[in-house]
Amino acid sequence: MSDTSSSRPFFSVNDLHVHFAARSRLFRETPPPVKAVNGLSLSIEPGRTFGLVGESGSGKSTVARAILQLVDIKAGTITLDGEDVTNVPSGKELAFRSRVQAVLQDPFSSLNQVHQTRTIVGDAITRHFGVKAGADRDNRVSALLDEVGMSPEFLDHYPYEMSGGQRQRISIARALAVEPDLIIADEATSALDVSIQSQVINVLKRVQAETGVAYLFIAHDLEVVKHMSDDVGVMYLGYLVEKGDAERIYDGPAHPYTEMLIASIPMPNPVVQAERRALRQTFGTQPGGGIAEPPSPSNLPKGCPFENRCPVAMDICREEMPEPTPGHHGGEVRCHLHTSGPELGGESVVHFIESQKLSSPAGSGSAV
Amino acid sequence: MTGATVASGPEPIEAPLESAAESPRRRFWRRMFRNPLAVFSMLWFVTLVVSWLAPDVLATHDPFKQDVTLQRLFETPSADHWLGTDQFGRDLYSRVIYGAGFAFRSIFIAMSIAVGVGVPIGLFSGWKGGRVDRAIMWVNDVLFSLPIVLLAMAVIIVLTPSLTNAMIGVGIAMSTRFIRLTRAVTLAEKEELYVDAARITGISTPRILTRYIVPNLLPALVIQAAIISGAIILIGATLSFLGIGANLDDPDWGVMLNRAQSVFRQEGVWQIVPAGMALVLTVLSFNLLGDAIRDALGRDAGNNALTVTKRVEVAPAQTEHAADAVLSIRDMDVEFPGQGGKISEILNGVSLDVRAGETLGVVGESGSGKSMTMLSALGLTPAPGRMTRGSVQFDGRDVTNLSEAEWAKIRGKDIGIIFQEPIAVLNPAIKVGSQIAEPLRIHMGMSKADARKRAAELLAEVRVPDPERRLDQYPHEFSGGMAQRVGIAMALACEPKLLIADEPSTALDVTVQGQILDLISEVQERHQMAVILITHDLGVIAEAADRVLVMYGGQVMETASAHDVFLSPKHPYSRALLETMPQSHDGQGELPVIAGMVPSATAWPTGCRFAPRCGFATDACTSSMPPLERVADPAQGDLVQADLIRCVRHSELGLVGGTA
Repeated sequence: MSDTSSSRPFFSVNDLHVHFAARSRLFRETPPPVKAVNGLSLSIEPGRTFGLVGESGSGKSTVARAILQLVDIKAGTITLDGEDVTNVPSGKELAFRSRVQAVLQDPFSSLNQVHQTRTIVGDAITRHFGVKAGADRDNRVSALLDEVGMSPEFLDHYPYEMSGGQRQRISIARALAVEPDLIIADEATSALDVSIQSQVINVLKRVQAETGVAYLFIAHDLEVVKHMSDDVGVMYLGYLVEKGDAERIYDGPAHPYTEMLIASIPMPNPVVQAERRALRQTFGTQPGGGIAEPPSPSNLPKGCPFENRCPVAMDICREEMPEPTPGHHGGEVRCHLHTSGPELGGESVVHFIESQKLSSPAGSGSAV
Repeated sequence: MTGATVASGPEPIEAPLESAAESPRRRFWRRMFRNPLAVFSMLWFVTLVVSWLAPDVLATHDPFKQDVTLQRLFETPSADHWLGTDQFGRDLYSRVIYGAGFAFRSIFIAMSIAVGVGVPIGLFSGWKGGRVDRAIMWVNDVLFSLPIVLLAMAVIIVLTPSLTNAMIGVGIAMSTRFIRLTRAVTLAEKEELYVDAARITGISTPRILTRYIVPNLLPALVIQAAIISGAIILIGATLSFLGIGANLDDPDWGVMLNRAQSVFRQEGVWQIVPAGMALVLTVLSFNLLGDAIRDALGRDAGNNALTVTKRVEVAPAQTEHAADAVLSIRDMDVEFPGQGGKISEILNGVSLDVRAGETLGVVGESGSGKSMTMLSALGLTPAPGRMTRGSVQFDGRDVTNLSEAEWAKIRGKDIGIIFQEPIAVLNPAIKVGSQIAEPLRIHMGMSKADARKRAAELLAEVRVPDPERRLDQYPHEFSGGMAQRVGIAMALACEPKLLIADEPSTALDVTVQGQILDLISEVQERHQMAVILITHDLGVIAEAADRVLVMYGGQVMETASAHDVFLSPKHPYSRALLETMPQSHDGQGELPVIAGMVPSATAWPTGCRFAPRCGFATDACTSSMPPLERVADPAQGDLVQADLIRCVRHSELGLVGGTA
């Protein structure tokens, strides 16, 4: 169940904007800022997972960095347990860090190569609980290692002595060390092999079941996000174009971009994949077979940024950015189709796209 | 649901690998002691340190004791005075030994100031960035451009002439070098993910700087310090030589040279030799030490580059090639020499066939040997590895022992290659049009104008909009998807018979991936090429491949039609891989996992390489390596490609997919 608006959410981001200013140059016009995140809102309850998907350049990692106080926020608020944590003052930073932790993407560079596991995980314990380096701290680190499925022998291992999957477990143990309420996992499994990825996903899910930690799970892999998440948000060029219950979004996306993403997932079954190919080819090609490229985030169009790749775009899509409207999955969708034109009213867009495709064969455009 | 291949439920605790990688520290010392110049400079350094801390151990005489008889002045080497005597009859050998103390004192004073001032300022400047950084670096650059000797003289003028005061000046001047270095490293390191991770953990900034950044800065500092130490000794000697450094009686090398030059016309050149040689050897050894440390810390040479091993005759394969295959590999072994003469077998008994118009998908996790198979088949085994067994046939011709010159005529012409990172393959400084035209001019002998025309046609063929204009653009003006289209155009340029695509869509967004795969199959159909598609993504294989080769641990585990591999996988590994994919798993429960991890090439398990992770493994699996067998299939005649499998239990297990 999604949160209801009457009760205050445990963790929420409201109308977040993050812009990166281009550096000003002498005698030249300052380039426009890159609008990395534009008006994003989401909320997460304890013990639940919000999955954020999007392609490279969609701004999903910037959302993580904004929440983690690593980039400046242009507008919007972030609240945790009723407290404003948009810009945490340095005096309250430690308290904030003890509640919000992260597991970052690259298992090679997110651990300091010069430290052993006992220091990597132990530093967090020292910082937050005042336990000095020694046998006591090592015992606590061992317990955390056990929680992520690793033996205490790894205490004196350096990162270069461990595989990618093991390193990612160390990252999880480090995040767990401070007993946080929220862990932001930014592409935490993306760099891992399939067989290792499933191990790490299971560790994350088991930890959540045991501790009730909430996750903001950010990834480009839709299938992994679907498996991890209760709610899902889809980002495109800084906009959250759709959010809602995970199962229901995957079964019936209300935004054409979400449908494009789902149609693009290659399924490990040649028979199924042959059927899906036709739907996938509906997207991304312009009439006549040209390739439509997404616009630059420093030069977004005034209308919907997905308009040029959308197989069912209308005139209004070029003119104005749609506002969020309620979707059938209990969340929201930002697409004109729901308020003008066919007025889908928040329902799934799948049947509409398929009916449009049948009536206008120009969409597939693979005529040779 | 058999599900026994993969362990469900709570997974086993992971224990460390026995053969952990060599620690950087051990590797460092191993390399240092293997380098003769490094050994020389370390020995010299140790001698100097002993001369400095305990000069009497080495010295034979009191360095200040004059010969009051005035009988033994300006002597050349003798049994009593090993390096002769100076104008007061003092023992030159002992004076040189004592001189090391002066050299080290100079280094100590100047280096403490240079490092003590330079490193904190550099850390601060690099960490702060922005205006503060620019202001500091501006001042630093001005100081940097002043001659060091001049700065040292300025300090001496303000204070009093002495070696200590001179070295304070040198230290201040040298701190600019350390500011630059520290700031550059800090700027780079603070962008590293581990610094973000430390901030997220709540580690304070001073602690991040001292505990996280400084240790990563140390190697660069040590190298810089070694080289600068040589410079400091020279500057100290220069100042002493000019008479504004050490006292005129001190056994300082610069002072000794000063004295020697005033008399060498009358007394011969020998007077210059002891102090001069000490100075030259010391400065040289410091510089060599710096170089040696840098080399020892660096990465293995030839690790990244495609340095091709010298070819050796390869033992022929036992089995025959398929007559109709465009590329056919039989029983290929590739070995890499490891530490201490150990051999790592990267590939073992790899066989494959790919026919015209067919797409062979090669799938495996990292370290499975899928990319190595292709490199070795094309005569590109990276050094120091080499193919030791097997045979390769391309287009009906045996190419196993082809020379590099002969290969160059085939690669890029009859075999096109598409890489994972299209942008990385393109030269950023050359227009895209020229890069596409190059193989056309080399292999097809086209004129410049013809090649350009053909390049535009090729871009149009891979559906790059506005090809004429795009020809004159540089690679950075292309998105990842567009750059990969250029990569495909380049691979197609000479109408190859075989196209090898190594993870062609892995670096691309999922919405672009499909377009690229569509494009590859489109051009394949048009040109009736054979395509080998290498990827770790089973979904990509399912989308594009006709036949599939599953690799694990440098071996072929299974080859069969795509339909069979996905819908009725016979090998437990193929099946386990499919089951661990989230796509194969509906609902929210735990995913099936393959326990443990991919074994390393230096320590393959005995018997079947997948056995330690396999849910079906028995004693038979771990006792001897299972052969790659033909799957008996009476429905298929001999002319049809045979399915192969490497599993002793495959017929008994009868793994037939539940998904079909």
